[in-house]
Amino acid sequence: MILQINFKSGMPIYLQLVDQIKAAAASGALRPGEALPSIRPLAEELRVNRNTVAKAYSELESLGVIQTLPGRGCFLKENHSALRKEVRRKLLTEEIDQAIVQAHHLQVPRAEFLQLIHERMEALDDKRRAHDEQKGD
Amino acid sequence: MSTPTPAIQIENLAYAYGRAEAVHDLSLTVAPGRCYGLFGRNGAGKTTTMKCLLNLLRPQRGRVRVFGLEPARQEVEVKRRLAYVPDQVAFYPWMSVRETLDYLASFREHWNRKTEQELLGRFRLDPLQLTGNLSKGQRTQVALIAAICPETDLLVLDEPTSGLDPIVRREFIETVIGAYQEGNPGNRTILVSTHLITEFEGLIDEFTIIDRGRVVLTQESDQARERYQKIHARFAQSPPELDLKAALHVRREGRELELIANGAGPELLERLRQHNPETLTTEALTLEEIFVAALKS
Repeated sequence: MILQINFKSGMPIYLQLVDQIKAAAASGALRPGEALPSIRPLAEELRVNRNTVAKAYSELESLGVIQTLPGRGCFLKENHSALRKEVRRKLLTEEIDQAIVQAHHLQVPRAEFLQLIHERMEALDDKRRAHDEQKGD
Repeated sequence: MSTPTPAIQIENLAYAYGRAEAVHDLSLTVAPGRCYGLFGRNGAGKTTTMKCLLNLLRPQRGRVRVFGLEPARQEVEVKRRLAYVPDQVAFYPWMSVRETLDYLASFREHWNRKTEQELLGRFRLDPLQLTGNLSKGQRTQVALIAAICPETDLLVLDEPTSGLDPIVRREFIETVIGAYQEGNPGNRTILVSTHLITEFEGLIDEFTIIDRGRVVLTQESDQARERYQKIHARFAQSPPELDLKAALHVRREGRELELIANGAGPELLERLRQHNPETLTTEALTLEEIFVAALKS
């Protein structure tokens, strides 16, 4: 898992880390039970404040994405979101609504938008398969 | 909720060298555990401000406190709790690196030998070399080791990386993040003055931009990157006359418009969209770009 910070995205740095680790988990770049990098080397490598990385990790922990084992580090949990189903749906709905607004302004019609969602989901599946094959080697 | 005593509190500080006013009515507060940036051009008043914290200069007006203590009256107590890397590092040239570190350690109650060994190795410094024979980068590395080993609550860095090569600059920042912050996570405070803003971008939680001794802007870094946006729009024909007073800067170039917004981004975007631009993109400004924009306006 390689993480990268983009200072031109306008998004807080800790949230960029949270999003990228969630994406890595979804694509299989990080598997359940695998360890996340320790805070100090990751902060040094990205040259970001140590407390920013710590904040991202505690956010991921409260979201139920990772768990901290005292003295051993942080690990990716099995796919069990700590949130109830309707909360999860609501969070996703907000993100989808934003994408729909964006599609409107970029003049992407409905059918093309839905097609694009299929394509992106397949791309993610492909990535996950590729990671699984690597694991098999 | 009681707020903890600020690591640094400066209120209405003023200082003049003869008739030249270096700092004028400057106020800022640094909460414990933060990394705070002091940005300004050469001669903006950064070093003068820092010297008042260290009692190297006495404030002519205003109030300066370090952990609630007054540097001019409780100098020893203040210096016990902070370490300082100046922009010009000078040692006794006839002392070796080893002797220099031992000499500096003798002024401290506490000195982490393990960290010292680790950093000497990391920087590939020969302990037997005389400091007079060290390069500028190596002298800064020795000064950084001497500032980190006492494990103080506050680290004051005055233009620490100017004039150093990129590798040494990187190692310097990694060391501040790793060896210094990790020692007592959440409680180590850093005040860094610099005009090389890009390299410290990821480290800085909050900053103050000063110009000619005055505060221009104080903001949290994440908030600043959210508020300051560069908006680019391209139209099919030359851009219509628009009310863009909410923008900090407007640049027109043929069919293209480039705006710098401070907080008014969404409003400006909506206004541009109504004229159906061919392309419309936004990006956040980096802290360095915010620094330039703030000093231009």
